[in-house]
Amino acid sequence: MPLYLAVEIVLGISILNKCSGAYGILALFTGHPLDFMQWVAYLWSVFTLIVFAQGLYLIHKPNLLVFSQICVLYTVDTICTCFFTLWFTTQWFTLEGNVDLSSIATDASSTASQAINYNSIATGKLAARSTDTSGQGASETYEYSITILITLVSLIFRFYFNFILASFVQELLHHPKYLVDRDDVEQDLKNKPIWKRLWAKSQKGCYKLCKNLLE
Amino acid sequence: MANPFSRWFLSERPPNCHVADLETSLDPHQTLLKVQKFRPTLSDWVHYLFLGSIMLFVFIAYPASWILKILCYSFLGALMIIPATSQFFFNALPILTWLALYFASSYFPANRRPPITVKVLPAVETILYGDNLSDILATSTNSFLDILAWLPYGLFHFGAPFVVAAILFVFGPPTVLQGYAFAFGYMNLIGVIMQNVFPAAPPWYKILYGLESANYAMHGSPGGLARIDKLLGISMYTTAFSNSSVIFGAFPSLHSGCSTMEALFFCYCFPKLKPLFITYVCWLWWSTMYLTHHYFVDLMAGSVLSYVIFQYTKYTHLPIVDTSLFCRWSYTSIEKYDISKNDPLAAESNDIESVPLSNLELDFDLNMTDEPSVSPSIFDGSTSVSRSSETSITSLGVKRA
Repeated sequence: MPLYLAVEIVLGISILNKCSGAYGILALFTGHPLDFMQWVAYLWSVFTLIVFAQGLYLIHKPNLLVFSQICVLYTVDTICTCFFTLWFTTQWFTLEGNVDLSSIATDASSTASQAINYNSIATGKLAARSTDTSGQGASETYEYSITILITLVSLIFRFYFNFILASFVQELLHHPKYLVDRDDVEQDLKNKPIWKRLWAKSQKGCYKLCKNLLE
Repeated sequence: MANPFSRWFLSERPPNCHVADLETSLDPHQTLLKVQKFRPTLSDWVHYLFLGSIMLFVFIAYPASWILKILCYSFLGALMIIPATSQFFFNALPILTWLALYFASSYFPANRRPPITVKVLPAVETILYGDNLSDILATSTNSFLDILAWLPYGLFHFGAPFVVAAILFVFGPPTVLQGYAFAFGYMNLIGVIMQNVFPAAPPWYKILYGLESANYAMHGSPGGLARIDKLLGISMYTTAFSNSSVIFGAFPSLHSGCSTMEALFFCYCFPKLKPLFITYVCWLWWSTMYLTHHYFVDLMAGSVLSYVIFQYTKYTHLPIVDTSLFCRWSYTSIEKYDISKNDPLAAESNDIESVPLSNLELDFDLNMTDEPSVSPSIFDGSTSVSRSSETSITSLGVKRA
């Protein structure tokens, strides 16, 4: 399979996942409290979403400067993801240990039982199912194992995707068609707003870094 | 006078072009001849064996009378053999297989099903995305938001696949509908298999029962759609979701998968309207979390599944879209994407500028050429032509005597 197809899939999946940032920020309107690390994670996700999106847009006509920037940011994002994963794992298990969720369940169970006995069709299916319900719910060990498995698999894929991107940039660096004309870049920047100049400067910096590391 | 159909859709139709024509024959011999000539590839074998084995499984597992099941399968077989119907039903085989498995799912014996997980999804969501986004979005509710969420989740989702199929059929290139049926069917089929293999409780479960252990005797909940039932004075969603075939099928979200697939196909055929289709997917994502039917991780699983299957379909099945053409009848031919030819890293053999540096011998000595170098001079006579000017003349196509 050509590398560009893999890069297209990698960027697509990453962009989909980075949409989480936008939904997290919606907490501004719903009043749900967010702590500092959550804000950092969500804002970072939105930023990386923008960077990765330009790669998906240019995948059939790649630009070395853009893909260098994506590769470097993806690598930084991989490191950040590892850190956030560790941080939020601690948060989840601390929360689960402190809050007695069963008390919430007791309050809500009366409402639930009303909903369950709502209609006559329900009764038929209830009888069709097994009456012995013990063991149908997952054990604590099973729950934790699957949680750890999914988390680890997602991190492994994350690293694999990073290598795919790095390989693609390496191929671009070796391809004369995508050689970067530095003079053109310098000239184009003169009359551009400051954020564009900073953006281009970051791309150039990423390009130099990729050139040193991958070529 | 031409009828409206001819005036709108056939006006651009090239003469003697039949790529968009439909099969109208009712003669089963034609299908049998096609089957005789058919030489399956490895992917064909995998495709038909996979779908066939699931159909066989449903045939055995579905608790209906054998006569009824044989009649149903025979009817389906007849639809596949008649050319006029097989062009639709045969291509819809992945969709039919998905539907068969989905409706059989509620009858699988509880003691043979995998254990229901309750904590995995909220835990993974917090670990990967920082919080339960469903909690964030469902913190405050009101009637306006309820209706806004209901429209894509409870209304558009069920009609959209048919509308998309009809629009693709008329305004997309010929055979794009086959690709849509393939991708849509496989996405849903794999989704339902995953839901059965990995049963997981949706966010409404956590609201109702906390993180207590679940069992298959429990019934589903309409979640936030109960407010719509109340608002409209009906019990449609409460009844439907209480008796869903896959109650603990939160992962992956097929609402998300379907909307993503529809949006991807529309983006492929009508690229100018991309922002509209992306907005629809984002709207549906928000509504599923607001209505407490899915965690964000479920939505991602559904969308990623759709995206991967779409990418595969795009490069192996789909025809290339010509956005300048109006509808299927405007096409003169069907062209497929050439993966190798369009590889941005591939170099053309006759294009010296595109050859990777590693393939060129760059360390040759410029003074090693056989001919002595002749520098052009202003004193050169008519007989003395420099190599550079010779090249220039030749390149202009002027032959010297």
